[in-house]
Amino acid sequence: MATATQIQKGYIDYVLSNGEAPKSVYVFAKRLKIAEEEFYLHFGSFSSIEKAFWADAVSTVVQAIRQQEVWPSFSAREKVLSFFYGFTEFLLKNRSFAVYTMKAYRQGLSAPAVLEDAKPAFEAFAESVIVEGLETGELADRRFFTKRYKDALWVQFCFITRFWINDTSAAFSKTDEAIEKGITVTFDLFQHSPLDNLLDYGKFLSRNGRFV
Amino acid sequence: MLSMDKNMLPRAYVNKFTQSQYNAPPLSGPLVVRTFTRHFGKSPEQIYDRFDIRSTHAASIGQVHRAELNGRQLAVKIQYPGVGDSISSDLRLVKPFAFRLLGMSEKELNVYMQEVEERLLEETDYELEVRRSQEFSQACSHLDHVVFPKYYPELSGPRVITMGWLEGLHLKEFLQTNPSQEVRDRLGQALWDFYNFQQHELRAVHADPHPGNFLITPEGNLGVIDFGCIKELPDEFYRPFFSLILSDVLQDREKTLRAFRELEMILPQDSPAEIEFYYQAYREMIGLFARPYATSEFDFSNASFFEELYGYGERISKMPEFKQARGVKHFIYVNRTNFGLYTILHDLKAKVRTDRYRPAAALNNGSTSPVQ
Repeated sequence: MATATQIQKGYIDYVLSNGEAPKSVYVFAKRLKIAEEEFYLHFGSFSSIEKAFWADAVSTVVQAIRQQEVWPSFSAREKVLSFFYGFTEFLLKNRSFAVYTMKAYRQGLSAPAVLEDAKPAFEAFAESVIVEGLETGELADRRFFTKRYKDALWVQFCFITRFWINDTSAAFSKTDEAIEKGITVTFDLFQHSPLDNLLDYGKFLSRNGRFV
Repeated sequence: MLSMDKNMLPRAYVNKFTQSQYNAPPLSGPLVVRTFTRHFGKSPEQIYDRFDIRSTHAASIGQVHRAELNGRQLAVKIQYPGVGDSISSDLRLVKPFAFRLLGMSEKELNVYMQEVEERLLEETDYELEVRRSQEFSQACSHLDHVVFPKYYPELSGPRVITMGWLEGLHLKEFLQTNPSQEVRDRLGQALWDFYNFQQHELRAVHADPHPGNFLITPEGNLGVIDFGCIKELPDEFYRPFFSLILSDVLQDREKTLRAFRELEMILPQDSPAEIEFYYQAYREMIGLFARPYATSEFDFSNASFFEELYGYGERISKMPEFKQARGVKHFIYVNRTNFGLYTILHDLKAKVRTDRYRPAAALNNGSTSPVQ
């Protein structure tokens, strides 16, 4: 019996050796010397293998970074940074495949479909970190906006992934910079900032406009 | 080109450049960890017995962390990511500023720019820095009262340098402790020996005598902690330049002119009037510069010498004749080094023996004899 991991490995190998997906599940199963129905036990299609690849990457990295000794001492900001550094590091082993799956989605702002399964995994992580940050007071609890924090992090996720895919700098140091600066800005916005005072002042003025 | 005006070029450049790096927020803990895992495949906590994830202070293009391994205190320097790539573009941004400051045209300054860019790029190469630090601290190990941290190449990489932690005060803090004249003289002598040994024996010199690169240890020794910027002195520069300073060439108009031509301080297309002008101006400058060498001992607390030096710089900075490229590119860092050295010695108010590590034979090309 082939396991999901074996099938995924076989698929990655096929794609990287041939530069394209197998013509059909039949062809692929034959090559792996497994029955076609065995394939369907684990995956519905080739694209679900690709989606699982990204989702697995996210959960593997989340697990790994939580093992770090320094983890409990990290702030929410540092936890998210740690995730992205771990994530791009982890993907390095399979960069060619990652690039292949994203090839079709390089353009456009919406999240690539191949990241569909990675999204809930990442959001669960983001949510837990945000909740911690709100509890310690590191992040500002704002009406309406607090619920969108994880969306902002998801936007960063897609941006950083795409940046890394297209990065050509040595050791992908540009991606490091993109992570460091991008997450810093994002978390600056999550924190109590002059923006809150500005909004508060605006609210006050709009309510008391008749005195102006 | 020997002007102190242009001596400002690297400083202005470096200041602007490091400013843009200093303004960068400190590296986050996770990026520090990442820098280690990237290069060593291990996190800092796996490499050292103890590693302080918060940096103790910023270095010019990175930050310093404290660590401990096998009971030894270590300083771990980590470079900001992307510094190397951004040098060229950052320098382009600074260029117009430098031109305005010096009032020169772009074309004339390009040679010097390149020199500065080269040095700055070298400074971002931490592997090179570790190699050089080891070489230089080895070569200078016999000098009295000069100490160096130990370097750990196996714990260093393209963006990380691990060295021993030197305990000590920076010059400014040290001077506030009101040290005795004896201690000042000793440190001044250590500085003098350190620089002159390098210039004349190694023909390559630690070209960044910034007070921040030195520590005065509790034992009253001079600790040298940064070998990021090294200027090598090629023979075609070293020989004519130091023959002007260390021998009686300056007394002989023809020999002086020959040296000035070799150093491109006087150019082939200069008119007789121009030759006379630059001859006088540069002769005065070299004479000033060489004064500490003229006697076997020199008191750097001597305010009148420094007034003369600054006065001269002030004067020529206003002369249109000096708003053009003159002098080979090597002057930039050699000037910076030696004026930097003089300034620190002046701050120390040290009296030093200036006849140590003087080259004799190398400069004596048959016709001149060194001043004793």
